[in-house]
This record gives sequence, C-alpha cells and structure tokens, in this order.
Amino acid sequence: MLTLFFDFVRRFARNRAALVGLFLVLVVVGVAIAAPWWFPRNPLRIVGRPEIWPFMSSRYPLGTDSLGRDIAAMIAHGARTTLLIGLCASLTATIIGITVGATAAYVGGWVDELLMRLTELFQTIPNLIFVLTIVSILGQKIEYVTIAVGVVTWTPIARMTRAEFMSLRDREFVQACRSMGMGSLRIMFGEILPNALPPVIVLSSLVIAGAVLFESAVAFLGLGDPNVTSWGQLIGDGRTLIRTSWYICAVPGLAIMLTVLALNLVGDGLNDALNPKLRDR
Amino acid sequence: MSGFSRRDFLMTTAGAVLASGLAGSSSAATATPKRGGTLVGTWGGFEPQSLFVPAGGGSSPYFTSTKVFERLIRLTADLKFEPVLALGIEPAEDFRSYTIKLRPNVSWHDGKPLTADDLVFNAIQYWKPISAGVTLDALQTAEAVDPLTVVLKFKVPVPEFFLKSVLAGKAGLVIPKHIYDGSNIITNPINNTPIGTGPFKVKEWVRGSHVEYARNDNYWNSGLPYLDKLVIRWWRDPASRSAAFEAGQLDIGTFNPIPAPDIARLTATKKFVAETKGYSNSAWITSVEFNQRREIFKKREVRQALLHAIDRSFIADTVFFGRARPSLGALHFSNSIFFTKDVQDYPFDVKKAAALLDAAGYPVKSGSRFKMSLVSAGWFEENVKIGQYLKQAFEDVDITVDLAIPDRATSLKRIYTDYDYDVAVSNNSASIEPIPQTTQYYTTDGIVKGAAFRNATGYSNPKMDETVSKMAIETDEKKRVSLVHEFDKLAASDAPVLPMVDLEPVTIARSDVRDHSLTADFMGESWAEVWLDR
Repeated sequence: MLTLFFDFVRRFARNRAALVGLFLVLVVVGVAIAAPWWFPRNPLRIVGRPEIWPFMSSRYPLGTDSLGRDIAAMIAHGARTTLLIGLCASLTATIIGITVGATAAYVGGWVDELLMRLTELFQTIPNLIFVLTIVSILGQKIEYVTIAVGVVTWTPIARMTRAEFMSLRDREFVQACRSMGMGSLRIMFGEILPNALPPVIVLSSLVIAGAVLFESAVAFLGLGDPNVTSWGQLIGDGRTLIRTSWYICAVPGLAIMLTVLALNLVGDGLNDALNPKLRDR
Repeated sequence: MSGFSRRDFLMTTAGAVLASGLAGSSSAATATPKRGGTLVGTWGGFEPQSLFVPAGGGSSPYFTSTKVFERLIRLTADLKFEPVLALGIEPAEDFRSYTIKLRPNVSWHDGKPLTADDLVFNAIQYWKPISAGVTLDALQTAEAVDPLTVVLKFKVPVPEFFLKSVLAGKAGLVIPKHIYDGSNIITNPINNTPIGTGPFKVKEWVRGSHVEYARNDNYWNSGLPYLDKLVIRWWRDPASRSAAFEAGQLDIGTFNPIPAPDIARLTATKKFVAETKGYSNSAWITSVEFNQRREIFKKREVRQALLHAIDRSFIADTVFFGRARPSLGALHFSNSIFFTKDVQDYPFDVKKAAALLDAAGYPVKSGSRFKMSLVSAGWFEENVKIGQYLKQAFEDVDITVDLAIPDRATSLKRIYTDYDYDVAVSNNSASIEPIPQTTQYYTTDGIVKGAAFRNATGYSNPKMDETVSKMAIETDEKKRVSLVHEFDKLAASDAPVLPMVDLEPVTIARSDVRDHSLTADFMGESWAEVWLDR
C-alpha cells in the first residue's frame, strides 16, 4: 500500500507543472485558512479612503475598492468562499455524477436509456444560464450557488463513470462476485467503483476549477451572496471603475486566474499519476 | 440663454410652433436646427417590461412611451406650463371645473384625428382609474362641448398648479380612444407597439437590445421632429455605456448613464458635454423604507434611530462621487416651490442611534439587538454599494443584517408586491407638485399591493391623510405651500420612508447633439426639438 502511494507521488512529481500547481493551490488554501487571523475584521467593512492604489499604503497593501474596503482582506476571505464553493460544488457534482453513471451502466436497459437522456438534457442547457436560472429562483445565498454549480457540472462525471462501469461490469472479478451471491450495491460501490475511480477523481479536480469560474461569473453579474465576499463579486463591483481604477478588477482577476490554472495543473498531474499507462505511451 | 426670449416667443406665436429653433443651454443661440440623422439614446437603467405601461411602471417605460404619446401641456425649465396638445386649460371661478381647448389638426399615427372624445375617454377611463389613481378622485365628469373643447367637472375645488402638474406629468399621457376603447388598457398587447400623436412612431422593438422609432411625417408641428430616426438602446452597465459613447455608438444618455469618474474623462475631450439641467420635474432620490408590517419597524423610535445610524454624506460623496446631497425631509432640495428646511433632520450619530434603540426596548443581547432583512433594489449600480454600506452602518449599532440585492423584477416584487423586507433601499423621481408622486408614499390610499413606487411600508396615519386631502383642494397657492410644509414635517418626523440622498442626475451627450435638456423633465419629453449638428 505504502509503495503504491510512493509510486503515485513519484509519478505526480515527474510533472513539474503539476508541482507548481500544487504549490499555488497550497498557498491559496493557506491564505484561506489564515484569513480570520490575518484579517480578523469583517472583510466587507469600510476601513479607509476609497480607491487607494496597491502598494501605496502599507496598511492596505493591495489598495482599497470604490467604497474604501481593504482589497487584501477581501481577497483573503474571498479565497475561503471561492475554495469552499469549489470543493462543495465538486463534491455535489461527483456524488450526483457517480450515482447516475453507476446506476445507468450497472442496471442497464430502460434505466440506462432514461438516465442518459436526462444527462443529455442537462448537457444541452447552456451551463451559465442554467446556473443563473437556479440562483435567481432559489435566491442569492451561497448554498444555492454551490448547489446550482453542482447541478450543472455533474454530467461529464456521470458519462465517465458510466463508461468505466460498462467496461468493468462484465469482467471476471465482477462475475466471480456475482457468482458468490454478492448484492448489487456491494458489487457497484465495493468492487467496481474503486477500479473506476481514478479517472473520475481527475475529472472532479477539474470541476473544482470550473466551479471557481462559475462562482466568479455569478458574483460578477451581481447574483452572488452580498453577505459574503468573493473574488467574482470584487470584480463585479470594480467593473464600473475599470477605466480609472483598473486594479480593483485586476487583483481578484489575477487571483482567479492563478487558482484556476493551478487547479488545472494539479488535475493534469493527477491524471499522470493515476493513469500511468497513458503517460508512458 | 435668457428665459425671457423663450417665453416671449411662445406667447407671440400662441404655441403654434413649439420651441423650434429656440436657444438652449447646450447650443449656440444663433444656430439653425438641421434636419435629419439618427440619434441613439439611452438612460442609466435597463429595458422596460413593456414600451408603454399604462399604470406607470417606473422611468424605463416612461422614457420609451413619451416619444410616442404626448400630453396636453408641459413644464418649462423655469416651471411655467406651455401648450402641447392643448392650446389652453382654464379654470372656472370656483376651481370646480376646467375648460380644455384642444389643438386642431392633430392626428394619431394611424391617421385618425385627435378629438374631444379621445380626451373624455382619457379623463374618465384612463387617467382617473389607472394612471393618476386617487389624484383625480374628485373628477366627476368630462364632457365634450364641441369637437375640440372638453369641460372637466370636479366634486371639490382643484388647485390649478396641481391639475396642470398632473396633466403635464407622468399620468397625463393622451392615448387613443379608438384603439383602447372596450379593451383592458393595462393588458392590451398594443402597449408594446403604442400608437400616439407624438413625433416618433414605434418601428421595431428588438427585445434585449433596442427600440427603433421612425419619424412621424404627419406630426402636427410641421417641420418637427428634426431627426429621421430615433433609437433607444439599453446597456447592462455604466462602464459599457462609456465605451459606447467613445466608440460613437451612443449620442445621448439621460440619468447618470456612465460611471461618475468617467464624466470628467469624457467631457475633457470636448467631444461630450455633461448637463445637469432637465430634471427639476423628475427629481431623483434614493430612499430608505421601513416595513410597518414588522413589529420592530413599526416603532417610530427604531426608524429614527436607524436614520441616525446612516452617514448620508458618505453615500453622497463616495457612492455618488459628490453628485448627490444628503436629503432633508421628503422633498428634493431642487423643488423651488415647496421645499422647506424646517423639518426634523437626522444627522449621523451612532451613539444617539444606539441610545434610541436601547430606549425603544431593543438592547444588545449576546451581540445583537435584532435581525433585519435589508433589500437594496438592484436596478442601479449605486444601490449595490448603498446596500453594502447600510449593512455595515446597521451592524455598527449591533443589528444583524441579512442583505439581498435582487435584480429589477425581483426587487419590484419583494418591495412593492410581497412586502418581503424589513428595510428597503429604493428610488423614485418626484415632480415639483407633491401630489401624488411624493404623497402616495405616505397616504393610506397609496397602499396598492403590486403597484410599484407607492406606499409599500403600510404606513397609515389619519393626520397625514387629512393633511394631504387638504392639500388636494386648497386653491390658494400660498396656503397650499404651507400645507405642503406641514406634510413634509410630519413625513420627516414619522419617517416611514424617507429620502437618504437627493440625486443630481447628469445627462451625457455628444457635443453635436443640440437642444436637449431644455424642459423640466427632458427624459420624458418627446425629443422632437433635438437635432444633430453634423
């Protein structure tokens, strides 16, 4: 088991870009964890003069926004929101995706037909519009944004899980389980799923990056939760000042770009580590 | 430019030619208007729900419908009434009846003539029950004496300034009888392609983008309009309107179309002008409303405390970049006829706010006095910031705030239909005449579930109702002013809803757009006299 893990680490580390990505992700996670100690006050508090440029004041290293709120504090606290939404949305999408994909492939027949048509139905609706619709119906709460993003991003996971399950469900080890009288649920989740999981994990890590972008878009359009700070909201608020104080958009924009890039690089690294054959080919 | 020459001119021509070639603040006095061209205009808000909303519906449909529909009279920049569809409106000695003389040879866009029958229909079937509401409650009959004369009879004396304000105001649009008679005016689908007497005809409304108007070649004021085509286009946000101006895609934008910091940048190029005139009869405010249906906010002390907790100067200076000032009372400071300083003021004082809340029976318990849902109407960019600021201001007096900034439709629904808020941030524009646009926020009959921009707080005070009904029948102008002051005092001290800041809106226009912003409410003007110096 331990050698397997070291093997995994070695293969992951072989991808230098993935290491850089991992480093960046860890930095963002670190900032998110440290935020309440680093900036103990409510990040949405107005603390100083509006529109102080970055690096002009030692108290506000990243400057202040149009209302006089500390951008550094908003970035740090926004990292929590962004990561939390990313992780939860990805978890939601993964759970829905695996359940749908596994059931469709394992049961087959009309259930498969029905679930796959349902998946296609979800795939045909433009994602962003679907997210906005859900949020405007449910309300501007961070929970609903998370659910909305989860609900629109599960489809590739479902299809991937289904494909993996299809190739595994008639293998000898599964037939052996069946002949021993093992229950369907136990075969699905105890035997097939662990073997089908690696590509799904890679996909889930990419969904996190997608979720970060979705959340930013929703907040940018003013449909985010106004009670919590997030990077997209900061960009949305700064949008009207883009010709005069562009840094209000640029700073959180940079944060989003780096985080999404880092998450994608980590996803690539995971892909290499979990699908070694693909890599060596 | 002198107002004198302008009035003089109108008097001598008896309004037969309307303000054509007149001097304006934004054009050279000697310039002769040129015919032709396409003007692209916008305003600092979004697309309307329908091009014409008979019951009102806010500034957006008002903007689009007034290019098609006209009124009997209009208010000039120096607050005098001048003729449009009516040549004269004369009160009888007892102010219980008014004789309206219509302009001859006016026809609707479909060729039918405008007659006294149309006017009778408007008075009885449109203005009284729908657009003016309780304002014209006293209207008893409308009678066509001859094809161009109508007599309006009232149950009680009606002040002249008041009636003329209603007719020149948002409620006074004249709509065609032959199209609306027998149908439900409010839901008639023709409201999306209205037919009026105005200088522009609706050609096409591309939803989500723009509405295109064609020139009405049979306009009663021959020679007008100067433009061949008018396009009203909507942009989602102020920054993109700036970009549209610079790209030459937009010629004029009313009501703060662009971000305040961009105003100086654009006008510095000399290619654009910023004009603050043209808003006196639609004076904009940002208000805070307290829902009286909630136990906590029913207490006057709580409302007063919360008003003390708000730093209005901060909102005026930081959110509006100085293009607003802290309000005093219920009336806009620019209302030169009725404004008074002699009302209760709420200077920013956190300690006083806290003391008042303590006294009202809401001490701090485990960090919070009570929980409040704050709804800031998301139709203006500034309201997003104001909502965020108020959340902090109220949290500073230990109130837990749940902030929501819904989109336009949801905001209208939450504030004016479902009454689903504790404290709301909203806007309205008021005419010089306080009845009904200002008073309907305070009177009991202003409570109309689902009707936007009225009494949404549920406030009901017999003394207030009495004062307003006195205002409605006082024909002596001086006494009337003191009654309005009485109203303002009561509104300010009861504070069910009060303006926080009085806005000073700006119109941005290319410098080759001429003769705009000449009347008391330019945005709701027909724009027949606007021309392009190209």
